[in-house]
Amino acid sequence: MEEALKKNLEKLLQKEGLNGRVTDLEYLTGGASNETWKFFFSSKTEKRHMIFRRSLGESSPMAISKRDEAFIQQLAFKKGAPVANIIAITDKDSTLGDAYIMKHIEGETIARKILRDKEYSQAKKKLAYECGEAIAKIHQVPINNFNNMQVSSPKDLIHRLYLTYEGFKQPLPVFEFAFKWLKDQNFGEQTEKLVHGDFRLGNLIISKNGLEAVIDWELAHIGNPIQDLGWICVNSWRFGHSENIVGGFGEIDDLLAGYSSICKNNITHEQIKTWQIFGTLRWGVICLIQTFSHLYGRTNSVEKAAIGRRVSETEIDLINLIFLGGK
Amino acid sequence: MVFDRPTAFELLDSVSVFLEEKIKGELPKHLAFNVQIAINVINIVKREIENGKEINESSSKLIADILQQGNSTESLSKAIKDGKIDLGNKELQKVLLEITKMKLSVDNPKYSTYKDLVD
Repeated sequence: MEEALKKNLEKLLQKEGLNGRVTDLEYLTGGASNETWKFFFSSKTEKRHMIFRRSLGESSPMAISKRDEAFIQQLAFKKGAPVANIIAITDKDSTLGDAYIMKHIEGETIARKILRDKEYSQAKKKLAYECGEAIAKIHQVPINNFNNMQVSSPKDLIHRLYLTYEGFKQPLPVFEFAFKWLKDQNFGEQTEKLVHGDFRLGNLIISKNGLEAVIDWELAHIGNPIQDLGWICVNSWRFGHSENIVGGFGEIDDLLAGYSSICKNNITHEQIKTWQIFGTLRWGVICLIQTFSHLYGRTNSVEKAAIGRRVSETEIDLINLIFLGGK
Repeated sequence: MVFDRPTAFELLDSVSVFLEEKIKGELPKHLAFNVQIAINVINIVKREIENGKEINESSSKLIADILQQGNSTESLSKAIKDGKIDLGNKELQKVLLEITKMKLSVDNPKYSTYKDLVD
């Protein structure tokens, strides 16, 4: 199977004028919905690693296609956001399915490593600022490029999230509380922007020099830009380093300073907190989606089964944020 | 008790230790990651075997005390959704906190927010 994959990758690269050999195919990550491979490409003129990402059919209800992901990455790249350059995108009738090839960028994605290892201590000092800058550059991608992408107001988002939650028929009093509470909050009036949707450690390539690339664009959508700022503050993405509100490594003031260096704005800490609370609930519902895709899906996944018992983590965070004044 | 030792808890414990000590180190990264998750899952089940029954009983009691009818999470959810209980109700907030803390004591007692709240 790997031999066939190599041949197909060579064919896809040929179409882009890259005639050479694919070797050292290495499976990086994957699950029921998509997978990522790394490989080495060598031709007469170049030798380099590349990344291949493809969808496996069983897509999550919030996810966009891999082709759309690649298209958005290209646009963000043009705006100067740290993004891996796209090398090839498959056609509709490709044997590789919905997939693309991008440049391989050196660095670490494992959040716990980045937060723990000394190697990244310099990088972490300016990471919140760099994240703010990168998020702002993503928000500058003109949204008239996306005719088929849903535009969601906070109210729409909450409503759709509620319907998803409700569909699983697993009543969670804390979620009911949070949904009801969120309906009366101030999310901040903003012009709609391209939102990455999953901007956090795990989806960022970090080197000892700092932020190298933003990856995993499958939750991208059009909406209130503060969502991305709130999401990276969700406690689940601090990976135990809960004292550092931004992603386990930084402060909101630095995140906002980086953001403001690119995008003029009137965003307040309170609005970011409201989006953080929304994000916490959203992550809780995503946990439910994963859990039930294991329970009702075709493939057994211990990872997805286990995530069902992480819903309570989002519940305790919601309680902490909404009525215990936590951060 | 008709079952012999090892107890359910002890059986799971033996599997968890086996995976941790003999298997995890032998596997490529992505599989080792999944084995770690499997170990975590076994530990959740161990804690639920130990304390689950008591937690269910205490939760039902807490819910029954603030609702006019019912003692399940389902009835509490419905009462919140239908506005039968005000979100500002301190008793409600206390009950939600207590139940969630008990859930975390089984699901993930190492979770940062939980640790901060019980310390």
